[in-house]
Amino acid sequence: MTQPIDTSIYAAVTAAIQGEAKRILSEGQVTAIVGYAAARRKGSAQPIVISQPDDAQKLIFTPACVNNLAVYLTKAKKEIPKTGKIGIVVKGCDLKALAGLMGESQLKRENLYLIGVPCAGVLGSTIQPDTELTSDSIAPKCTECNERMPPECDFVPAVQVPVNQGLEKKYAAEIARLEALTPQERWAYWKEQFSKCIKCYACRQVCPFCFCEQCLCDRNKPQMVETTPRPAGNFAWHIVRAMHLAGRCAGCAECERVCPMDIPLNLLNRKMAKELKELFEHEAGFEVQEKGPLNSFTDKDDQSFIK
Amino acid sequence: MSRIGVFICHCGENISRTVDVERVAAQVGKLPGVAFSTDYKYMCSDPGQNLLKKAIQEQKLSHIVVAACSPRMHERTFRKAVEAAGLNPFLCEMANIREHCSWVHEDKEEATAKAIEIVGMMVERVKKNRVLPTITVPVTKRSLVIGGGIAGIQAALDIADCGHEVILVEREPSIGGHMAQLSETFPTLDCSQCIMTPKMVDVANHPKITLYTWSEVELVEGYIGNFQVTIRRKARSVDEDKCTGCGVCMEKCPIKKIPNKFDCNLGMRPAIYVPFPQAVPNTPVIDRANCTKFKTGKCGLCQKVCGPGAIDYEQEDTLVVEPVGAIVVATGFDLYTIDEKPKGSAIKGYGEFGHGKIPDVIDGMTFERLASASGPTGGKILRPSDGKEPKQIVFIQCIGSRAREKGISYCSKVCCMYTAKHTMLYHHKVHDGQAYVFFMDARTPGKNYDEFWRRSIEEEEAVYIRGMVSRLYQKGDKIVVMGSDIAVGVQVEIEADMVVLATAVQPQKGADSLAQKLGISYDKYNFYSEAHAKLRPVECATAGIYLAGACQGPKDIPDAVSQASAAAAKVMTLFAKDKLEREPIVARVKEGGCVGCFACKKVCAYGAVEEKEIRDRQGNLIKVVAYVNPGVCGGCGTCQATCPSKSVELDGYTDEQIVAMIEAL
Ligand SMILES: Cc1cc2nc3c(=O)[nH]c(=O)nc-3n(C[C@H](O)[C@H](O)[C@H](O)COP(=O)(O)OP(=O)(O)OC[C@H]3O[C@@H](n4cnc5c(N)ncnc54)[C@H](O)[C@@H]3O)c2cc1C
Ligand code: SF4
Ligand code: SF4
Ligand code: SF4
Ligand code: SF4
Repeated sequence: MTQPIDTSIYAAVTAAIQGEAKRILSEGQVTAIVGYAAARRKGSAQPIVISQPDDAQKLIFTPACVNNLAVYLTKAKKEIPKTGKIGIVVKGCDLKALAGLMGESQLKRENLYLIGVPCAGVLGSTIQPDTELTSDSIAPKCTECNERMPPECDFVPAVQVPVNQGLEKKYAAEIARLEALTPQERWAYWKEQFSKCIKCYACRQVCPFCFCEQCLCDRNKPQMVETTPRPAGNFAWHIVRAMHLAGRCAGCAECERVCPMDIPLNLLNRKMAKELKELFEHEAGFEVQEKGPLNSFTDKDDQSFIK
Repeated sequence: MSRIGVFICHCGENISRTVDVERVAAQVGKLPGVAFSTDYKYMCSDPGQNLLKKAIQEQKLSHIVVAACSPRMHERTFRKAVEAAGLNPFLCEMANIREHCSWVHEDKEEATAKAIEIVGMMVERVKKNRVLPTITVPVTKRSLVIGGGIAGIQAALDIADCGHEVILVEREPSIGGHMAQLSETFPTLDCSQCIMTPKMVDVANHPKITLYTWSEVELVEGYIGNFQVTIRRKARSVDEDKCTGCGVCMEKCPIKKIPNKFDCNLGMRPAIYVPFPQAVPNTPVIDRANCTKFKTGKCGLCQKVCGPGAIDYEQEDTLVVEPVGAIVVATGFDLYTIDEKPKGSAIKGYGEFGHGKIPDVIDGMTFERLASASGPTGGKILRPSDGKEPKQIVFIQCIGSRAREKGISYCSKVCCMYTAKHTMLYHHKVHDGQAYVFFMDARTPGKNYDEFWRRSIEEEEAVYIRGMVSRLYQKGDKIVVMGSDIAVGVQVEIEADMVVLATAVQPQKGADSLAQKLGISYDKYNFYSEAHAKLRPVECATAGIYLAGACQGPKDIPDAVSQASAAAAKVMTLFAKDKLEREPIVARVKEGGCVGCFACKKVCAYGAVEEKEIRDRQGNLIKVVAYVNPGVCGGCGTCQATCPSKSVELDGYTDEQIVAMIEAL
């Protein structure tokens, strides 16, 4: 049954971030702000970088603000952070990515001004931008989100924090379904999914954690991963992706959103996250963690696989 | 273009029995890049090495593959030979066709085919080896010795006598270890204290030895020649500089009845104590768990009576960092307590022998304390239960040891001899008493050892019964010992006044966690492992760390002392040079690809990865990348496996080399 979702906060949030953006730009606290602005199609939104106080009025926050803007601080727009302290509009899920990047020496907290936004959810990737936000149109990741209020930001609009209205957890349900399959059936499922991949690497480009300048998949001396979109190479790429993101992935689901072949990439990410939680009690969160579970060792680690 | 030389070794018949070495030589000779290939009976022998050297010169070889045993065995040998012939030693690799091939296969056809593949892989790998310069690192000529038993004391004295500083760390309040507890010692029956205490005093007075008792190793960083060791000096509650060792505090302390571990809990000590009168240093510690001042805040008597004002209730643990170049581990042993199944251990208990339940069933060390002139009974053999002299005493050997089904399969080595000693001491002290010994075998190799054992039977009238005890139980004030005499084939039952169990020698508690701090390996019992059972018995596989005494395996005093002096000699060999040459197999960062995530830094157990700034000519920061300090890198390759962008690689094990090897298959 379709449940409506209360989206009344978005207008107040938009007004508040415009005001704050204007203030910090005119006071010279930051040199630029990465945020969202309205795009051409009705109801749609797109990332924007502003550096003039007058442009603050362009900033918006709506259910169409799907992008994880963290990626603009590492690779896509690497020159932006070089200009000085940067403001950035972040949802809870995006903030986890920033925390991860700080833990991996890619960003420094003191170089950022965090404008946190309380969020009731964003639209799913296949939904038209001007659609009403409901339990059907909401992005799957938002059905599992418990971080609607990003903590420890420099500024957060003073609006009532929306609560997750008991939506059905879509990834958890899908993981449970897959876990109930036999290994052969599961293998067949992923084989089919990965065989669709056309190796466009959009998932890699959009992921804030894929910040390597030379991805090992692009190396040719030696060639680690076959470059053409054939089953073996596809599998290799997706295993590399899953392992490299294990314990790091923030769950922003950007990879899944941009994949032109609709491969359920975040489903794999969530499964890996679940494994790490069970094995090492680790979760990617808001805290800057010095070491992830895959690059640390304690004598409490599960050793049962060795014997 | 490479001109590779391949040398196939027969290893006597070890390899040639299952591998057709001539065919391997002929086949690999055809591989692209191989200019010369041959086989020889013993490549490691003098003529074998000369063959290698001659071929390098005559054939103008550029790279070498020696197909023989494991590189652990002879890599160094062949690299030296290659160097002597004028090539960079790191252009030589070994293909292991013995452990990896001939020893594990029977079919000659298949083993030969596999050997050809193994050699072919190494040919591809060696092609991509680089000329590596040897790395030299400075040596800090100070040594750490962990454990102040006889082994640690001997090692410390030897190293210090050679003029090098020694830091001796002992976790108990005094040095001395188990030898300080012994009464008289086999095979000569001289008094243990009389030969031990002078050495303990030498340690205390030696200008080159810094003694940290009541202290433990907290953290070990660095590598051979350059360790940084953090030592926790536990709060003694007594200022060592002020205390004169007068002992007034111990006399006045109103708490008197704390079982003294040194006397195997037979004697009592106060809350402020030294474990035994000859302790070194003669500075007491306050046992805070039992001290009224610490428990309730009242008392404080010791502080009032202490003339020099040495008592300090506020004292806290302190950490000291000591730079050292070598470490000798001499943490000794513990006796197996058999009362119940030790918690979390694979070793099963010996509940059937009643230790811990029947008061007059004691272990060997407790007997030593009873027999010791400075012990709780002044050297009289008396029963713990009622203080009577036991007239019938039963000794049972091999309790815990040599019992695979119970979890320990090794022999504890000292029990046959000390039980023989115990029967003698007993006979000397209780003239009308009778000693019985249940034993499986008498293991008495060693100079004058068998003679000693015979004496216990022939002169001291001990009755040896070959067989095991199945059960013992208390009956009135007697202990009934039921066993079998397998030599005669009868069941025996003895009503004893006291039973002494020769319990197994085990590593110290916490031996494994110390090993983890040091990065040394240990066996399934937690005894520390030597680098080679025969040829490197006092070295650890971890460079710069040496073993002495019972921490490496059960040992008696002469063995522990010999090993300690051997370890000291190894330390002195290391200290004989100012600089140390080490293998240049280290990781290198490809700065172009490195994104400075420092995953490598997080996983590097050697602390070898540093952060390095890359700047343009104007001095603007371009990026921060990883830098591997070659002096520190241990060549483990963990960073290589971790780096997401494949930007750090170990020389000789680059991805390119590994893939080339796989492709050669
Ligand atoms: C009952 C009995 C009778 C024996 N009789 C004889 C005999 O007559 N003749 C003979 O030759 N041998 C005899 N032995 C064997 C003898 O006791 C040992 O050979 C000898 O004590 C071994 O010395 P060690 O220094 O290796 O170990 P230990 O004496 O055990 O000394 C180890 C020292 O290291 C310290 N230590 C442990 N862990 C740490 C740590 N983590 N940090 C700092 N310090 C630590 C301990 O406190 C201890 O002081 C007998 C053994 C037993 C059990
Ligand atoms: S975005 Fe989709 S199609 Fe493109 S590489 Fe990633 S998984 Fe493959
Ligand atoms: S893997 Fe996908 S969900 Fe995870 S951080 Fe990257 S883009 Fe977001
Ligand atoms: S792990 Fe790789 S990319 Fe990251 S800092 Fe180390 S060398 Fe650079
Ligand atoms: S190989 Fe890498 S991880 Fe290992 S010691 Fe060297 S730098 Fe550290």
